[in-house]
Amino acid sequence: MPLPTPITHGTVDWTGENPGILLKDAGGDFSAMALFFRVAWSPVGQGQVLLLYGTPGEEKGPLEAPNVMLTDNHDLAGFLKEQFIGRLAAFRNAPAFDALPIRPAQAVRSRGDPMSHRYTETVSGEGLVVELVWEGLEPPKALELTPDQVGTGMHTMFTLLVPAREAQIIVNGHALPGEVGTRVQAGFETTTAFLYFSETWVIPPVEPL
Amino acid sequence: MTRVSINPGRVDWSGENPGIYLKTDPNGEYDALALFFRVALSPYGRGHAAIVLGAPDEACGWPEVSNLIMTDNQRMMRWIVDGWVTRMPTFVGKAGLGAMTWLDCDSVEKRPGNLKTRYSETLRGSGVTLEMIWRDTGPPLPVEVTKANSATKAHEMYSVFLEAKEAQIVLNGTALPGQVTSRQFFGRTMSTAFLAFSETWVTPAGDL
Repeated sequence: MPLPTPITHGTVDWTGENPGILLKDAGGDFSAMALFFRVAWSPVGQGQVLLLYGTPGEEKGPLEAPNVMLTDNHDLAGFLKEQFIGRLAAFRNAPAFDALPIRPAQAVRSRGDPMSHRYTETVSGEGLVVELVWEGLEPPKALELTPDQVGTGMHTMFTLLVPAREAQIIVNGHALPGEVGTRVQAGFETTTAFLYFSETWVIPPVEPL
Repeated sequence: MTRVSINPGRVDWSGENPGIYLKTDPNGEYDALALFFRVALSPYGRGHAAIVLGAPDEACGWPEVSNLIMTDNQRMMRWIVDGWVTRMPTFVGKAGLGAMTWLDCDSVEKRPGNLKTRYSETLRGSGVTLEMIWRDTGPPLPVEVTKANSATKAHEMYSVFLEAKEAQIVLNGTALPGQVTSRQFFGRTMSTAFLAFSETWVTPAGDL
């Protein structure tokens, strides 16, 4: 619940939407991973970015399951890669991270209804059409997380979580392998397919010694 | 005070909700009010809208006066107008809100450019082109508002505000009269022109 002081202490790092799909194989390892960003404000402007690890265990991945970032704001993709994604262990530790190419996106489109049955984001560019599909959507939850509860370990974060029980990452018409798994966020068991709307990452002020 | 990580309330809607309130006399009433909505999530689906009250105290609609709403989701906006806008202090008792004409919106285009210098939202439809323009915006300000502190006095709210020093409401090529002024909001003096991103409204659990 909101604190009684209306202005949250700290500096906004970025704000926007940040849905994702993390698929796992039968052994529990990630088989395909995608994060999508629709950023309303950042120090390098607005924009949309798709991060796709079609083959998380390899540096590049084959044409049908590449590791790539597609974006309409190259500076934003670089900012998110270095300042945000690079602080998330599951992405930073992947072989693809260091050499991940940033390519232009020609079109980005959302469809569906996050409070109904199905929601999608479709990103096209560089000969790729990547469709992220979330289904089995649960009611939205408003979260307020402290630095010890977020992947970066350094932000206060506000977001609106819509968990999905089913999801697909479709590249040029072919669904990447893997299943939605489970995870725990702030003591709440949820899934590895999620919509996040109205998400704000705030760098807390430095506490005096 | 310790945070509660998962708000036990009901999420009502979420999206973007910037506004421009203009006065010709800094000590007088508002002469023009405008709110824009880009709703990402609501029980009535997604959509866009803009409310313009160019004659806030006149119980009359478009085209006689510039009181109108443009939207691509009427049902959603009827719900938001009734539950939120009518409760906001700036809009309470404004005859133009009840009399505004409802128009269909065919397209919405934002031009973010450099967010610090100029940002605009343009809506077209029903023979109307509406442009809302914000200039000279400040840094983003994260806000979290309790029911007691909120504009509606009925909801909790999270958002990111950027104040603008200048702004215009342009209807079919003509700017509505008035300038940006200041008001007391969130316990501080703030501009009456603002961008509001990542805004979520929640009905507190105790009121469900």
